[in-house]
Amino acid sequence: MSSRGSYVVFSGSQNFRLRLVLATLSGKAIKIEKIRSNELNPGLKDHEVSFLRLLESVTNGSAIEISYTGTTVIYRPGIIVGGSVTHNCPNGKPVGYFVEPMLYLAPFSKKKFSIIFRGCTASHDDAGLEAIKWGMMPVMEKFGVRECALHTLKRGSPPLGGGEVHLVVDSLIAQPLTMHELERPTISSIRGVAYSTRVSPSMVNRMIDAAKVVLKKVGCEVNITADVWRGENSGKSPGWGITLVAETKKGWCYFAEKIGDAGDVPEDIGNVVAYHLLEEISKSAAVSRDQLPLALVYMVIGKEDIGRLRITSNQIDEKLINLLRDIKSIFGTEVFLKPVDYDNTDDFIATIKGVGFTNTSKKIA
Amino acid sequence: LNGKINHRRKWDIGKLIYMDNISPKDCIQRWKGEDASDEAAESDIEEEEAEDNFFQKRDQNNDKTHNYEGDLEKFVPYFETIEKLVQKFSNLDAIKDRFLGAPSLGDDQN
Repeated sequence: MSSRGSYVVFSGSQNFRLRLVLATLSGKAIKIEKIRSNELNPGLKDHEVSFLRLLESVTNGSAIEISYTGTTVIYRPGIIVGGSVTHNCPNGKPVGYFVEPMLYLAPFSKKKFSIIFRGCTASHDDAGLEAIKWGMMPVMEKFGVRECALHTLKRGSPPLGGGEVHLVVDSLIAQPLTMHELERPTISSIRGVAYSTRVSPSMVNRMIDAAKVVLKKVGCEVNITADVWRGENSGKSPGWGITLVAETKKGWCYFAEKIGDAGDVPEDIGNVVAYHLLEEISKSAAVSRDQLPLALVYMVIGKEDIGRLRITSNQIDEKLINLLRDIKSIFGTEVFLKPVDYDNTDDFIATIKGVGFTNTSKKIA
Repeated sequence: LNGKINHRRKWDIGKLIYMDNISPKDCIQRWKGEDASDEAAESDIEEEEAEDNFFQKRDQNNDKTHNYEGDLEKFVPYFETIEKLVQKFSNLDAIKDRFLGAPSLGDDQN
């Protein structure tokens, strides 16, 4: 492949993981320039380099060039091979930061994904373990990825971490199913998990009680599990948090999560997460805001057929626009938004024609 | 007068999304009709579009430094403060139809 002109060029550090994931799926080389070039500490951060290493280990034939200052990365993707890998995550970012992008790649691999991640298991900005297990994996299931699991072997709260999780994706599919979801599904139950590591188990119960008080009003079944970790498997730092998931009969779900800091009151955290869940439900149609990128990317790489997904006008935010622009610059696909006219909501149907992506390793086998 | 016309203009979000010369933040503001931030920029769209190549660099820099909300690197979505949310959900009428079995009984008691 002759160089220079053949890159898709991006600028800035935003959407870093997504751009690399899209490049890997499309097989197109990308160049990311000006990564924090105006900041005091220019260039890639530790966790981003670590993510590039992870990407290198689950693909075959990838070439990554990082400039001397670390402000430019050129990535030429290979094919996704998967396999058994162990990845040590730097303590600045939790395992969720690394697991989440793997969900985009894992089903389209040559071999099954079985990756052990070591490091922190929670943070304020990234996906927690339950968010992935109960929030993201159901979305994958809707697209035909049925056998995937995230096993928590050890929990490790920030800052010292010491956790260990095992991501297993056993279904290997040629492409995701075409999605047709034109309704807002009805929520049948709410469940959740409140966990703690190296703190008194009463914290967990206090969070659960506070969340239940808020959720009592909605009048559906609420079931929150206490998950207290002790001893060897509870990592090196004290920590606690809660994840709530609203489930529908159709298999869609909405979730909210939060972790506690030193000085936080457990009742407050439980309360806030419960309200966040209500807010997320009010802003969602079929998927919640944090599931939307995964769902849309799966739709883009689907069969050459029109997929439809109902979204609300609240979900059209800056993140979505950035996502759609990045999808367009790599796949050349545009999303068509059609207002829903058969009921009195201001929802849209996002209509996407799949690019007809096929799992390269499937074709050979 | 010019400003008023623009104010009334209904933007098609489907097109706005793919107008690369408009920053995502502006897209949302124009679409929702919240042009309070910079009236001048809104009324001089022609001019602005001509200048956009010039300004693009600045916009991207803004995105990088303090516009963290548009960045998918951050997984957790944006939420209003808890006080606003408590107020918003003091009654659940807005999302009542999303749950199986109407919670009317519970509402009456409260």
